[in-house]
Amino acid sequence: MLSISDIALGTVQVLVLMALSPLLTGIMRKTKARTQKRVGAGILQPYYDIEKLLRKDEVVSDQASWIFRVSPWVNFVAIVTAAFFIPVFLANSPFGLIGDLLLVVGLFSLARFFTMLAGLDVSSTFGGLGSSREMMISALLEPAVFLAIFVVAITYGGTSLSTIVESASNSAVLPHPQLIFAAIAMFVVMLGETGRLPFGNHETHLELTMVHEAMALEYSGKSLALMEWSQSIKQILLFALIANIFVPWGMASSASPYSIGIGMATFVIKVAALAVGVAFLESSVAKWRLFRLPDLVAIAIASSMIGLAFYYL
Amino acid sequence: MIDDLVLFQVVISSFLGGSILSLVSRNCGFARYVIYLPSMVGSVLAVFFSLHVMTGSPLSWTVPDVVPFFNLEILVDGVSAFFILVIGTVSFAISLYSIGYSKEYQDTKRISAFGFLFNIFIASMILVVSSNNGFFFLMFWELMSLTSFFLVIYNHEKEENIRSGMTYLVMTHLGTAFILASFLLGYIQTGSLSFDSLRASSQSFPFLVKSLMFVFAFLGFGTKAGIVPFHTWLPKAHPSAPSNVSALMSAVMIKMGIYGLVRTVFDLAGPGASPDYAWWGVLLIVAGSASALIGILYAVVERDIKRTLAYSSIENIGIILIGLGLSIVFASYHLVSLSAMALVASMLHTVNHSFFKGLLFMGAGSVVYSTHTRDMEKLGGLVKMMPWTTLLFLVGAVSISGLPPFNGFVSEWLVLQALISSSQIPSAILQISIAFASLPLALTIGLAAAAFVRLFAMTFLSKARGKLAPGIGEVPRTMIAGMAVLASACILFGLVPSLGISLSTTAFHLQYQPSSPFDAVALQNASGKNFAALSMPVVATIMACISLASFGFIRAMGGKTARTPSGTWDCGFGNLNERMEYTAASLSQPIRAVFKPLFKAHNESDKEFHLQTNPYLVRSMRFSSSTRNIFEESLYNPVVSSTLLVLDKIRKIQTGKVNSYLLYIMVTIILLLLFVRMSHA
Repeated sequence: MLSISDIALGTVQVLVLMALSPLLTGIMRKTKARTQKRVGAGILQPYYDIEKLLRKDEVVSDQASWIFRVSPWVNFVAIVTAAFFIPVFLANSPFGLIGDLLLVVGLFSLARFFTMLAGLDVSSTFGGLGSSREMMISALLEPAVFLAIFVVAITYGGTSLSTIVESASNSAVLPHPQLIFAAIAMFVVMLGETGRLPFGNHETHLELTMVHEAMALEYSGKSLALMEWSQSIKQILLFALIANIFVPWGMASSASPYSIGIGMATFVIKVAALAVGVAFLESSVAKWRLFRLPDLVAIAIASSMIGLAFYYL
Repeated sequence: MIDDLVLFQVVISSFLGGSILSLVSRNCGFARYVIYLPSMVGSVLAVFFSLHVMTGSPLSWTVPDVVPFFNLEILVDGVSAFFILVIGTVSFAISLYSIGYSKEYQDTKRISAFGFLFNIFIASMILVVSSNNGFFFLMFWELMSLTSFFLVIYNHEKEENIRSGMTYLVMTHLGTAFILASFLLGYIQTGSLSFDSLRASSQSFPFLVKSLMFVFAFLGFGTKAGIVPFHTWLPKAHPSAPSNVSALMSAVMIKMGIYGLVRTVFDLAGPGASPDYAWWGVLLIVAGSASALIGILYAVVERDIKRTLAYSSIENIGIILIGLGLSIVFASYHLVSLSAMALVASMLHTVNHSFFKGLLFMGAGSVVYSTHTRDMEKLGGLVKMMPWTTLLFLVGAVSISGLPPFNGFVSEWLVLQALISSSQIPSAILQISIAFASLPLALTIGLAAAAFVRLFAMTFLSKARGKLAPGIGEVPRTMIAGMAVLASACILFGLVPSLGISLSTTAFHLQYQPSSPFDAVALQNASGKNFAALSMPVVATIMACISLASFGFIRAMGGKTARTPSGTWDCGFGNLNERMEYTAASLSQPIRAVFKPLFKAHNESDKEFHLQTNPYLVRSMRFSSSTRNIFEESLYNPVVSSTLLVLDKIRKIQTGKVNSYLLYIMVTIILLLLFVRMSHA
């Protein structure tokens, strides 16, 4: 069912995503620093961080059980598996017949499930706090994700990512008004899933703003490297999804080196532009109170519902 | 070749034999084996029998005039065999588990009576799905309800258990009354209670009669399945029953309600393929969405382990109903293949739920067995004391949360695909409303993961929040083996979903067959393009490869890791203890705050100050928070109290004097005579 070239191309796409993801984090940090009139670390800093952490030994809480030790691995494996189904520079995803958009969402949930368990395993109040917030945010985001997928699926005829991206990249201009609403919803979902402002703040370790950081607080060394890296990969996956579903042009429709080159270049430009945009947004909004976040999610849901009504009426 | 009939009789008689043996055995040392070995043998044979029927031809057996006017009619077709397979698999695991579990009761109670009821209970469920006659269906249905009632009140020393048993008894009989009404409607039309005659002539029933039959069946079977708002018995009966019984009830018995609905809707009162019948499906979708969402919302805030699981059963029945409803809607618009897909989704979820809910209830039973508490707020830290139970419970929790690569994901994936396919229904109103109905389902799936993170983490992880008895250890091996059976079924049906799918398609004689067990589940849209595809074996392979590769990569980059144990980070406080941990209530507090109106949460805090004039220096503080069940408060209590009021009024005619009773008799006779006279004229 899968040919050797499919597997090779798919694996190359995943490796590209894995390799580029720390760079994306670096670009976002740099942009934020610049908008805040700071110099900031170089954009390669996340690579140095991961490389350093990978060489370190670990300090583990004496309360921790095997769940705590296994969670970073489950997290990492689930997210890298999801990367196999994300379109990067090829319009026809090589693994399109293996899984679809719902599987990607499911794998993200698997990663989140174990992260929440890890937060609760070490009997630290910080972990409980992070898991408790994540429970609420992720539960509320689920309908927003699904409705956005619903709109995209009925527009392009399926949840299979190669069907979606192929039909999207064949259309000359964005032809369907409902997709704009789905894009708004997906954008909010992306902010929530990656814990960006106004949902959470990556930059601080304050009780008020921590969500993901609180759950990962007890990790050190290689486990921490896995957690950080998988967070970066998840971020680039969500960016790639938004970029390639809603701005699908420039993707390679054949496996020739020329079109792959074009596809690569446009992919990097699209994702980098999105990253800079999100970083600017982060600099201009404040963290919302936890109990105001349902309002933001409600906006995303309402937006998808408008999109649905647009499609059917 | 073995004769199906003989096999069927052997299955039933091994359960009957088990029940008689357990009565005879009394409480001797090996009573546990005498009770559960026959039911294990019967279960294995039942699985074998159902597979045999499914691949071969249906079994039909009639014993004329067992009871005057009624023939005992047995028909085991694909659908019955499908449910017998579920009953067999789950009851095998539970019987195995019970061998160890009964130790808890061995010294204090009579386990022989328990074994008698346990065996009869399983046999009655197999007979319910096999009967082909309304009279015997109801007989076996009652037998099932009564045996399960006695099993629920097995621990009758506690007042509370008797009360929840009574709620169950009343609710289940209300349900039976509706089922009876549905069958009687058919009887009026055909003059027979035999399902064969219903089947033969139901196509010619008037629309109104069919719809009434459906509504009554929905109310009756829905009560058994635990659909909101008829669910109130479920979160009471399940925690009260011994855990092996709750596992059987939740994994299998509530599925009998689903069986009844499927049988009535698709077989007996068969809806015509016309859009007139679409509202049947819409009713099921609405009821299903409500059950799913309300069930899981109550599960997220519950602190009793077994009650959380009971609420989550309501949720999963909701998901099953959404699939069934979609199937009816599609069928009424002639979308045959979509209808088949939705039905497969629903049936697959039925099997999957049986597996993981049976597993989780057994896991909860193991926790209660070792710790003697069901309260999450007191539990914690069991991961170090009960490693196997923890691992198996985790498999169940991940499966029920619908996470890949476990079985819950596949059936929820199919239900979601069926929802998306609603865009092919040629009716804008239905399209939009079904699309919006996906909102509660998606929220449910999100909340389910949260509920099971909370349940698992509070019970097994961290440190115990209350004082647990010393010397808590792992449960006996048979209990672990019982759980392991269902856990491996969860993993198997997750990794090779085509197993479950081809089971459902064979049972319902649907066309779709995956060509090889490792093929992707591929769905196609109208233009023939690939709609969605999912191949769990390949996904699992990818995951395994990535695990190996990343492990190798990190080992090569960073070398061996030394782990230094140290205290949990406490910001330098130095005195972190279990009272500072997050509790079950605080963990779900954000969700409770968001869905405030539904819980009517009631917070009470009580502060004592060092100085009355200074409200900043608190000497001591008490905080309590309780959630209330709005269904009981605003739906059941008014009904119950008004019924009592009416009955109170009626009681006045019961004067206790013989003269007045004689008067009543005379008045009745005169009225009857008048009635006869009038109707003659």
